[in-house]
Amino acid sequence: MSSLEKRILLKDWGKNNCHTIEVYEEEGGYTALKKVLIDEKDKWTSENIIEEVKISGLRGRGGAGFPTGLKWSFIPKDTDKPKYLICNADEGEPGTFKDRVLLEDLPHGFIEGMIIAGIALGSKQGYIYLRGEFYKPWQRVEEAIKDAYNKGYLGDNILGTKHSFHLTTYRGAGAYICGEETALIESLEGKRGHPRLKPPFPAVEGLYKCPTVVNNVETYAAIPHIIINGGKWYANLGQGSEKSGGTKLFSISGHINKPGVYELPMGLPLIDIIEKVTGGIKGDKKLKAVIPGGSSTPILTAQEAKKAIMDYEGMAEAGTFLGSGAVIVLDETTDMVELAYRVAYFYDHESCGQCTPCREGTRWVKNILKRFKDRIGSADDLDTLCDFSEYMSNGATICPFGDAVKMAVIPIVKKFREEFEARIDKTEKVHEKISIGDR
Amino acid sequence: MNKTEEKEYSFSKKSEDRFKELEKKFPQRSSLVLWTLHLVQEDIGYISKPAIEYVAKRVGVSKSWVEGVCTFYSMYNKKPVGKYHLQVCHNVSCWLNGSDKLEETIKEKLNIEHGETTKDGLFTFTHVECLASCGTSPVVQVNNDYHEKMDPQKLEELIEKLKAEV
Repeated sequence: MSSLEKRILLKDWGKNNCHTIEVYEEEGGYTALKKVLIDEKDKWTSENIIEEVKISGLRGRGGAGFPTGLKWSFIPKDTDKPKYLICNADEGEPGTFKDRVLLEDLPHGFIEGMIIAGIALGSKQGYIYLRGEFYKPWQRVEEAIKDAYNKGYLGDNILGTKHSFHLTTYRGAGAYICGEETALIESLEGKRGHPRLKPPFPAVEGLYKCPTVVNNVETYAAIPHIIINGGKWYANLGQGSEKSGGTKLFSISGHINKPGVYELPMGLPLIDIIEKVTGGIKGDKKLKAVIPGGSSTPILTAQEAKKAIMDYEGMAEAGTFLGSGAVIVLDETTDMVELAYRVAYFYDHESCGQCTPCREGTRWVKNILKRFKDRIGSADDLDTLCDFSEYMSNGATICPFGDAVKMAVIPIVKKFREEFEARIDKTEKVHEKISIGDR
Repeated sequence: MNKTEEKEYSFSKKSEDRFKELEKKFPQRSSLVLWTLHLVQEDIGYISKPAIEYVAKRVGVSKSWVEGVCTFYSMYNKKPVGKYHLQVCHNVSCWLNGSDKLEETIKEKLNIEHGETTKDGLFTFTHVECLASCGTSPVVQVNNDYHEKMDPQKLEELIEKLKAEV
C-alpha cells in the first residue's frame, strides 16, 4: 500500500469476509448508530447531525460535489408527507468502479450511514437503487440488509428506541441517465428514466411527490466516520482546499501498472497519484493525457495533468471537474480520434431522448467523429462540431447530459486538433453527408 | 419472431413468491414494473408480448406503459437470446486494454456479429457500455456474471467451458 493512501471508508477492505456483519461489528461497525441512538442520544439531535455533516465539508461523491449537509437541510421539517432516502448505486460514469467495492465488499458502511441519515431527516424508508448489471453486488446488499434487520439495526424500534427505518433494494435495467437523481426517481416509480425539470427539487417533491434526499453510496459510507470522529476531523483529512474535506475513493484505470480503487486524501497532486500510487505508466511509455473524473469531465493534456491538484477546487482551476474521481490515464500511443469516437458513441447510446437538442445532437457528434475515424472528415467538420455542441448545452435541455457531451468531446478535439486534422480527406471526394435516418 | 415462441406467460412459482414479497415494499404499485420485468426475464429469458400484457395486468398499469419501460432499458431483451449472453464492454478503459480483440475472438469463433445469436441458440453477442470494471478491464459479462481481466485465450477457454456444460 502506498504511503499516500488514507483508508477510512476502506479500512476493512481485504480482510476475510469483510462484507459480513460479524466482521463489520468486530471492526467497530454500528457504533456510530449506537452513539446517535443510545450512548449520546441527547447530543445527536436531528439538527446536530446535519450540522456535523456540514462541518465535515462532505460533498456529494457521485460526481456533482454538492455539499451534503446543505442538501439535507433543504428537507422540510413541518410536513405530513413521508420523507424518502435514496442511495444512488447506479454507478455508470465511464471509468468509475469504486461504489462496486462498497456494495460488494463493504455494504454495512453505507447502510449504517443511511440509517443515521434517516434518523437525522425523519425518514422511515430508504431505497437503494443499484444498476441492473450489478447482480452480485445486489445479492451482497440484500444479504447485508437481512443481517441488519436480524440484529435490530433496521426495522421498527431500532435497538429498542422509538426510531424506525426500513431499507429496500431496487434494480435498474441498463440506462446511464438513471444516475441523474430525478431520472432515478422516475425509474424508481416504474417509468422510463426521463429527468425532471427542476424546480421542484427532490428535497421538496421527489419520490411519489414527497420530500426526498438522493446521495451516492460513498457519501453515505462517510457518515459513520464523521459521527465517530467529528466533522472537523473529517474536514482536516483533506490536504488541499479548505472547501474539499475528507478522503475520496478514486477509480484509476487505463495505461497504468496498478489500476484499482484507492482511497486518498483530497488535494494530492494528480501526477503523484499516477506515479506513486498506481506505479506509473505501463511499459515505460510517456503520459499523453488524463481524463480526471469520469468520461464527462474535460480531458487534461500531460502538461496540464502535471500541475493539477485532485480536489474540487484544484480541478476547477485546471478547467475540469473532480466528477466521480474516475481517473483514466492515457499513454502516448492513444489514438485521440478513436477516444473521442468511443466517448461520443457512449453518449449517443445513452441519451434518454426526451429533449431534441440532446437526442439529435449526440447522434450528430458521433456521426461527425465517425467520419474522422474513417479518415473522411472534411475541413469544416471540426468547426461545425464545436459550434453546434453549444446548442445542446447551457440550458438547452432539461438535464446536464448535453453539457456532459460537450465537456467530454470538445476538449479532446481542441487539445489534440492536429490528430483530427490529419484525418481530413483532402481529396474532398467522399464527404458523407449527415444522414438523418441512420440511427 | 415466429408465433410459436409467443406463448402465453404467467409467473413461475419462484417469481410469483418474489412478486408477492415485492408488492409489500412499495407504496405505489407502478414501482413494481421494472422489478416484474426482471422476474419475467429470469423466467423466460426475454420480454415477450404476452408477458407485457401479463405484467400490465398484475401491476395495474397500461400495456403501453410496460412496453415503454421495456424498450427504454437496454437490459431487457426484446427478443429471445442465447443460453449464454456474451456482453463485451467496449467503453474507454476496456478499449485501452484490448476489448477489440475480445470482440474479434467472438466473431471468429462463433461466427456472429453484435446483436446476433448462434444457430444452436447457445450464444448471443452484444457490445455494451461501461460495466464499472475499468480497473480489471477488459470485462465480459456472461448472463449475471462478470469475467474480468480477460484476454482472447481466456475468452476462448470460457466459451469452450460453457459449450461443455450444455
